[in-house]
Amino acid sequence: MARKLGLLVPGLLQLLDRRWLEGGTALTLWVALLTLATTRFPRILQSLSEGLDGWIALLTLLLVLGGLWGWSVRDRMKSGGGDRVLPGGGGHLWTTFRRNRLAVLGLWIVGALYLIALLTPLLAPFDPAYQPAFQAGETGLIMAPPSWGHILGTDQLSRDILSRILYGSRISLSVGLLAVGISVTMGALLGAVAGHLGGWIDAVLMRVVDVVMAFPRLVLLIALVAFFDSSIFLIIGALALTQWPFTTRVVRGEVLSLKEREFTEAARALGFSNSRIILRHLLPNAMAPVIVTATLGIGNTIILEAGLSFLGLGVKAPTPSWGIMVATGRSYLSHAWWIATFPGLAIVLAVLAFNLVGDGLRDALDPRQSREVSG
Amino acid sequence: MRSSSILILLALLPIAGCTDVREREIAAFCGPALAKVDSFVETFSGRGWEEERYGGTVVVAAVADLRGGMNGFDASQAASAQHQMFVNLMTLIQYDEDLNPVPYLARSWETSEDLTELTFHLRNDVYWHDGEPTTAHDVEFTFLRASDPATNYANSAFFQYYRPGREGVEVLDSFTVRFHLTKPHMDFMDPWRAVGIMPRHLLEDVPPSELSQHPFGTICPVGNGPFLFLSHDPGAQWIFGANPAFPEGLGGRPYLDRYVFRVIEEAPTLLAELQTGSVDVYAGLLPHYAASVAENPDLTVVAYPYRAVLFAGWNARIPKLADERVRRALTVGTNRHRILEGVRRGVGTVVNTAVPVTHWAYDPTLSDSFPYDPEQARALLSAAGWEDTDGDGIRENEEGEPLSIDFLFNPNQERQEVAEIMQAQLGEVGVDLQPRGMELNAFLSTIFSPERKFEGFMIAWESEFRLDERDLFHSQAVNGPYAFSGIQDSILDRYLDTLQLVTDREEAKPLWREYQLRLMELHPYTFLYSYYRQNGVNRRLRGVRMDVRGDWQNIREWWIAPEDRRQP
Amino acid sequence: MISYVFRRVLTAVPLLLGVATIVFLVLSLAPGDPSAIYFGPGMSPETLERIRRDLGLDDPLLVQYFRWLFSFVRGDFGYSFASNMPVSRRILAALPNTFVLASISLLVAFGAGVLMGVVQAVRQYSLLDSALSTVSLFFYSMPSFWLAIMLILVFSVNASQWGWPVALPVSGVVGTDHDLLGPLEQLQDRARHLVLPVLSLTLVLAAGVARYVRTSMLEVIRQDYIRTARAKGLSEFRVIFKHGLRNGLIPVVTLLGLSLPSLLSGTVFIEYVFSWPGVGKLLVDSILQRDYPVVLAGTFLLGGMVVVGNLVADLLYGVVDPRIRHGVRNG
Repeated sequence: MARKLGLLVPGLLQLLDRRWLEGGTALTLWVALLTLATTRFPRILQSLSEGLDGWIALLTLLLVLGGLWGWSVRDRMKSGGGDRVLPGGGGHLWTTFRRNRLAVLGLWIVGALYLIALLTPLLAPFDPAYQPAFQAGETGLIMAPPSWGHILGTDQLSRDILSRILYGSRISLSVGLLAVGISVTMGALLGAVAGHLGGWIDAVLMRVVDVVMAFPRLVLLIALVAFFDSSIFLIIGALALTQWPFTTRVVRGEVLSLKEREFTEAARALGFSNSRIILRHLLPNAMAPVIVTATLGIGNTIILEAGLSFLGLGVKAPTPSWGIMVATGRSYLSHAWWIATFPGLAIVLAVLAFNLVGDGLRDALDPRQSREVSG
Repeated sequence: MRSSSILILLALLPIAGCTDVREREIAAFCGPALAKVDSFVETFSGRGWEEERYGGTVVVAAVADLRGGMNGFDASQAASAQHQMFVNLMTLIQYDEDLNPVPYLARSWETSEDLTELTFHLRNDVYWHDGEPTTAHDVEFTFLRASDPATNYANSAFFQYYRPGREGVEVLDSFTVRFHLTKPHMDFMDPWRAVGIMPRHLLEDVPPSELSQHPFGTICPVGNGPFLFLSHDPGAQWIFGANPAFPEGLGGRPYLDRYVFRVIEEAPTLLAELQTGSVDVYAGLLPHYAASVAENPDLTVVAYPYRAVLFAGWNARIPKLADERVRRALTVGTNRHRILEGVRRGVGTVVNTAVPVTHWAYDPTLSDSFPYDPEQARALLSAAGWEDTDGDGIRENEEGEPLSIDFLFNPNQERQEVAEIMQAQLGEVGVDLQPRGMELNAFLSTIFSPERKFEGFMIAWESEFRLDERDLFHSQAVNGPYAFSGIQDSILDRYLDTLQLVTDREEAKPLWREYQLRLMELHPYTFLYSYYRQNGVNRRLRGVRMDVRGDWQNIREWWIAPEDRRQP
Repeated sequence: MISYVFRRVLTAVPLLLGVATIVFLVLSLAPGDPSAIYFGPGMSPETLERIRRDLGLDDPLLVQYFRWLFSFVRGDFGYSFASNMPVSRRILAALPNTFVLASISLLVAFGAGVLMGVVQAVRQYSLLDSALSTVSLFFYSMPSFWLAIMLILVFSVNASQWGWPVALPVSGVVGTDHDLLGPLEQLQDRARHLVLPVLSLTLVLAAGVARYVRTSMLEVIRQDYIRTARAKGLSEFRVIFKHGLRNGLIPVVTLLGLSLPSLLSGTVFIEYVFSWPGVGKLLVDSILQRDYPVVLAGTFLLGGMVVVGNLVADLLYGVVDPRIRHGVRNG
C-alpha cells in the first residue's frame, strides 16, 4: 500500500528511506506545483491566450510534474534504496558536492529561481506593466507600502513590485546564462585551438586576450551598449564579448599542460585530426576549472547586467529589470525604500546562489580538497 | 586663490603635454584676464562692510551643469542664461513683479513716436570685473555679434525687426546707444531683459563663428554683474564672489560673500544634501520630493507657475501621423489630468496650446477642450482607417501596418514616467507607443535636423516673455529647426504674422484666442500641461524671491543672518 | 632582474596601442552622427559642416585613426565640446580624485582581506571561519551600486532617525567653503567625504580578496616547509606570517594585478552614485553625452592605468619571487 502511495507522491518513499535531500526536494516541488496548478487554474487558461510565455509556463509545469513522477517510478525500480552511484567520474563529483550543504542549498535556490522564472506568467499576481492609478483611477496605490494586496508594495506608477521582480528575474537569469554560455563556448574553443596549435595563432590570440583583459570591463560594456542602441541581444553579446578571454586563458593553460601528457601524443600517432583531438580529448579534460569559473561568472554577469540597467542602458520600458528598478527606486529612497531594496535583495539572492554552487563545484573538483573532506 | 589654481594647472601642463595648442591659447587668454580681475578686486580690499547682513556663502545645486557658462552668446540652456543675466553679467533692463521694465545697466530709455528708434542711456558707474568701464561700445558689440548669423546665437529671432548689422545700432556717446528697428512690434523691450552684455575689449578679436564655443564662458569669464567668477570645476561646481565694485545706485555689493553652484547629477543625493544642510537651494526639485521637503521644518518649497509647456510632438510629415484625426485621438486617448495628478501631484494646468499659463495671452477657457475620452479616441482611429484586424490589441491600417509610434524623449525621471503612463493609456485604445530614451544632445539633434527622422517625441518648451511661435508653426519656417510638426496653414500664418506687429495687448488678446483656436483645430501636437517650477530652499536663506522672472532673479538681495552662516 | 624589468616594460607598449585601437574601433563603428554632440539649437547646417570638416570626420577611417594616434602621442587629446574646454583639462581635474579613491580602497581592501583570509585559513572549519565566509560571500554577491545606496539610506538620509550621530556627506570630494578652512580641518573634511565611497568599494573588494587569500593560504599551510617550521618549534605567528605569508603573497600580488580592472569598474559606479568627480564618472557622463574626444581619452587612460598596474604587479613579482630576482630562468 505504501509503495503504491509512494509512486503517486514523489519523494515520500525517499523520505521514508531517509534520503532527505532527494525526498525533500521532490515532495516540496510536487506539492508546490500541484497547489499552483489547482489554485491558479483560471490564470493558466488565461495565460495560454497571451502568447508564447503562457504556453512555455504551462509546458514547464507539466514537464516538471511529469518528470517528478517519472523519476520517482524509475528510482523505485532501481536498487531498493541506498546511495545510487552514477557511472564515471560524474558520480564522484556529485557525491562530494552533495556533502557540502551550502553548495546544495545554492543549487536548490538556482533551480528554484529558474523554475520560478519559467512559471512567472502563472505566478505573478499582476501584469508588471499594469498601472491601476493611471488606468483605473486608484491613485491611492502610488508608492503603496507592502500590504496583503501587494506583498512587496507598489512603485511610483502604482505597478506591483513583486510581479515586476518576477518578470525581471527572467531577464537577469536568461542574460546571465546565455552570456556566460556563449562566452565559455567561444573562449574554450579559442583557448583549445591556441594551446594545441601554438605558433603565430597562439601568439596573436594571446595578445588579443591581453588587450581585452586590460580594459576595465565595465567601461567597454557601457561604450558598446550606449553607442549601439541597446537591445537584449546586444547586451548578451557585449557581455559575452568581454568575458571570453578569461576562459581562453584557463583552457589554454590546461591544454598546454595536457600536451605534455601521453595521450595527446598517442592520439596524434593514431592519426586523429586536430579538431578531433581538440573536441573529443582536450576540451573535456580541460573543462573542470572552466565550469567553476563559468558558474561564478554567471553571478558576476547578473551584477553587470543590473549595473547596465541601473545606468539606464538596459532593456527598454516597460520590461522590468532588477537594475532599473533599483535606479528608479533610488529617487524615492526616503519615501518608498521598498522600490529599491527588494530588487537589490533579489540580485543578492541570485548571485549568492550561483556563488555557492560555484564554490561547491570548486571544492568538489579540487583533488586535494576532496581528499581532506573524505579522508 | 584663483591664481593658485591656474598655477597648479600650468604646473601640470607638462604632464598633459604642453604641446597642446589649445591649452596654450587658453592660458594666453585667461592668464592676463584673471590677473587683472585680481588686481582690480585688490583695490577694494580696504573697504569694510559693516551691516550684519553682509557675509556668508550660499550653495545652490542642480542636476545639470551650466553648459553655456557665462557666455552671453550661448543661450542654449535656461539655467546658464539666468546666471548670465543675474549673476555674472548685466542686461540693459530687468523686470519688476508686474513684468514692467525697470532700469538696470541702462538708467533710462526712450522711443521715437513711430516706435522705430530705441535709445538707451547707460549708467556710467559700471565696471567690468577687470576694471575696464562698461560703455555703449560693449552694447554695440553685443548686438552686432548676436544678430550676426555667423555667431549662430540661439535667440537671434529677438532681432528680426532690427536693421541688420551697423544699420541697426548707433553709438551716440560713451554711454548712449540707439537702435533702429524696421517695424514696431510686440514686446520689443524683452530682448534687452534677456541678452547679457559682453565685454568688447576681451572678445572683439574672436571670429564670430567661434564666439559661442569660446572657452571664455567656462574657464575665465569676466563680467560686470553682482558676482565675479572665482573658479569652475567642470561637472562639479562654480564658485563666485561678491563684486565690490557693483554700483551703489543699484544696491551696491550683494550681501553674500560667496555663491557656489554645485552639480549633483543624482536627484536623491541632491535631496539628501538639501536635508542635511550641505546645500541651501535644490533648483528644480522633483515633484515627488515636495512633500518631504515641506515636512522638514528647516526647509521650504518655493513654487511658482513657469513659462513652459510640456507637449508630445507628432511628425505630421509621416503618413501614419498625417491625419488630424489620429493626432486628436492620441490627445483624447491620454488622460492628461491623471498624469498631472500622478507625476506632478496636480501642481500645474492642462493646456491645449503652447501658450503658458503665465503669459498675458493665456485663455483659461481653452484648457477645457479635448477631455479624456477613450471611446472617442477609438472612434476617431477607426474613422481614420485603423482597426485591430488581427486581435493583438494594436490597430493596423489597410496595408496591415501597425499603429506603433517611436516616441523619443530626454530621460529624466518625470519624462520617463509620463512616457510610460501614456504608453499604458494609449495601449488601451489600440496604439502602440514605444518610448525610447535618448541622451539630450542626440535627442535635440534628431528633432532639430532637417531630415526629421523621428515619429513622436516629448519636450518641455520654455518660452521667453515675448511669445513668437512662428518658428514652430509658420509655413515659411517649415524647414527650420523648430518646425517639428511640418503643418502648413495659410490662416495660421496670417495670425502668426499679425500677432507680432500688434503692439497693444488689449487689441492682441482676441487675436491670440482666435490663433489658438485655429491651432487646436489643426491639432499638430498633444499638449500636456503647463507646470510649476519648484525649488527646495533652506529657511536660513532670506530675501529669496523666485518667480516667473527666474530662480536667481534677485540673488543680489539674498542674505544669511550671521548666526546661521556656515563656519568659518 | 634588469632584463626582466626591461622586457616587461617593452610588452606594455603594444598593449597600450591595442587598447587605444579597440577604443577607436568601437567609437567609429557606432551608428549615429558623432557630430551630434556639437549640435546646438539654432546652429546652422553650414556651421555643423565646418565643424565636421575641421575635425576631419569626413575622412576615411584609417586617416582618422593615424591622425588621432599621432595627436595622442603628442599629448593633444582634443577638445570637449560638451564642456567647452580641452579634454586634457577635464581629465587632469578628474584624475587625482579617482587615484585617491582607488588607492585608498585598494589598500584598505587588501589589508582587511588578507587579514581575514589568513585568519580563516588558520582557523579552518571553525565558527569564525564559517561566520567570516558567510559574511564575505554575502558582500561578494552584492552589486556595489546597491550597497552604496543602502549605505546612503542608513548613514545619511535616515541618520538621525536611526541613531547614527553624524550624517556623513554623500556627494563631492570636499564640502563647501573648503578652501576657507584650516589645513587640519581640510584634512578632516576630505576624510569625511571619503568614508562612504571607500566603504562601498572596500566591502565588496575585501570580500573577494578574503576568499582568494583563504584558498591560497590553505594550500600554503599544507606545504611541507610549514610542517617543518612548526616542527622546529617556531611560534604559530612566525610560522604563518614569516614563512607562510611570504609564499602566499605571490598569488596575492597576482590578484592585485587582476583586480585592477574590476576595481576601476567598481569606481565607475561608486563615483556615479556619490557624484565623486573622478575619471569613472567623467567617462560615463561623456559616453552618455556622446562626447567622443573625452571617451577616447578617458578609456585609453583607464586602460593605461590597468596596464601600468599590471606592470607594477609584475615588477613586484620580481621582488617577491626569488627565482626571478636571481635570474633563474623557468623551464
